[in-house]
Amino acid sequence: MVRRFGRVALLSETAFAAFQALRLRAKHGSDIQIERTEPFNEFETLDEEVRVAAAAYEDRETPSLPYAAFAARNDHPEPDELRDREL
Amino acid sequence: MRGQQNSVPGSEGAHPNGRHQAEAAGGPVVVQTPDRRLSGRALDLREWTGTDVDAEGLVAAVRRNQGDSDEAPADEGAVSDPKEAKAEAEVEEAAVEHPVAVACPDPGPAHEYVGLVEPGMALRVRTALAAGARSRGLSAPQDEDLASVRTELADLTVPEADAAAARERLAGTESAVTAGRERVATIRGRIQAARDRGRETDDLREELRAAARKLSEIETEHAAAREALEQAERRAREARDARERRRRLEDRAANLARAARSHLVDALREEYVTALAAVPGSDRTGDPGGEEPFDADPVSAALAVGRVAQLRAPVVLAVDRFASADAAADWLDAPVVRV
Repeated sequence: MVRRFGRVALLSETAFAAFQALRLRAKHGSDIQIERTEPFNEFETLDEEVRVAAAAYEDRETPSLPYAAFAARNDHPEPDELRDREL
Repeated sequence: MRGQQNSVPGSEGAHPNGRHQAEAAGGPVVVQTPDRRLSGRALDLREWTGTDVDAEGLVAAVRRNQGDSDEAPADEGAVSDPKEAKAEAEVEEAAVEHPVAVACPDPGPAHEYVGLVEPGMALRVRTALAAGARSRGLSAPQDEDLASVRTELADLTVPEADAAAARERLAGTESAVTAGRERVATIRGRIQAARDRGRETDDLREELRAAARKLSEIETEHAAAREALEQAERRAREARDARERRRRLEDRAANLARAARSHLVDALREEYVTALAAVPGSDRTGDPGGEEPFDADPVSAALAVGRVAQLRAPVVLAVDRFASADAAADWLDAPVVRV
């Protein structure tokens, strides 16, 4: 196991890890969800404006300001627009 | 019970610590301002009107002694002239920067909690009593483990890890490799077509060589960028592991410290309860079992801890519980500065 997050675990990409995951599924059936994840590279997958918006919003001066208002004020992409964009 | 685990010899004294007066008195305390000076074991500064001397300033001056004076001499008579001269030089030096300077033995572990007794003070009684136990040389069974956990914590380094630069380097190199391969295949196709039609292929071959060179460069960069990202992610994983380990060690250290404190408090609980019942001017009755002793008013609790603890640096006293500074010094078995 590479890491645990509460009830989620990240396993290394080996057949043994798959074997362990399948044991769990055999025991608990569809309660066990197995997904194969892929490393995320924001420089590959995203437009620069989304990276810039995320960094700027986390650096905002008023912590209680919602993102929608922040985006409108500072010319970042709107949350709804982001929701419609596929990666 | 008395003097249990306490290395200080001689338990025939009237004080619960069982120490001789002369020994507890340590070196004389010297309080000095630019134009005044008092020395002795029990000092009363209340007549020093018009000076900047306040309780906080005095305690700060006492605590500035930390680490810069030697162990307290066994009795007053043992103070040798050079040492006294040194202490006086220190006092004068300190007086330049601060309105008041105090020469006295090192404040021990309990002084931090009960070195200043004033109205309205707050006191974490158990923590103070545990420090009082330390001041008498008592130890807890958890000390060794606690020290080793703290050493481990101090030695633990969490590596700096940021894989963003590596991700940025890798980005786009994969599609560049694909594009390069397609370009090589396209040129090969054109060479084949030219050959089929019996045409000249030299220019196309030159183009193919250039494309193949370019592809090889891109592939090399892609492989290097991938390798760099894998390394960066390994470091990030190590950093996460180290942080997790640090959190576990911090938890363990906190648990050990709590257990050690509780052990030390238990060791002195009875003495503390007895001392608390004897605190002058307390509104508590003489029944030590009647109330939760750790909920006593902070001034009484501080005085009781002070009586139980071994204090060599003076206690700065700003409350009216004793008839005189001398009476307070006798009761606490510690040097006292009354303000």
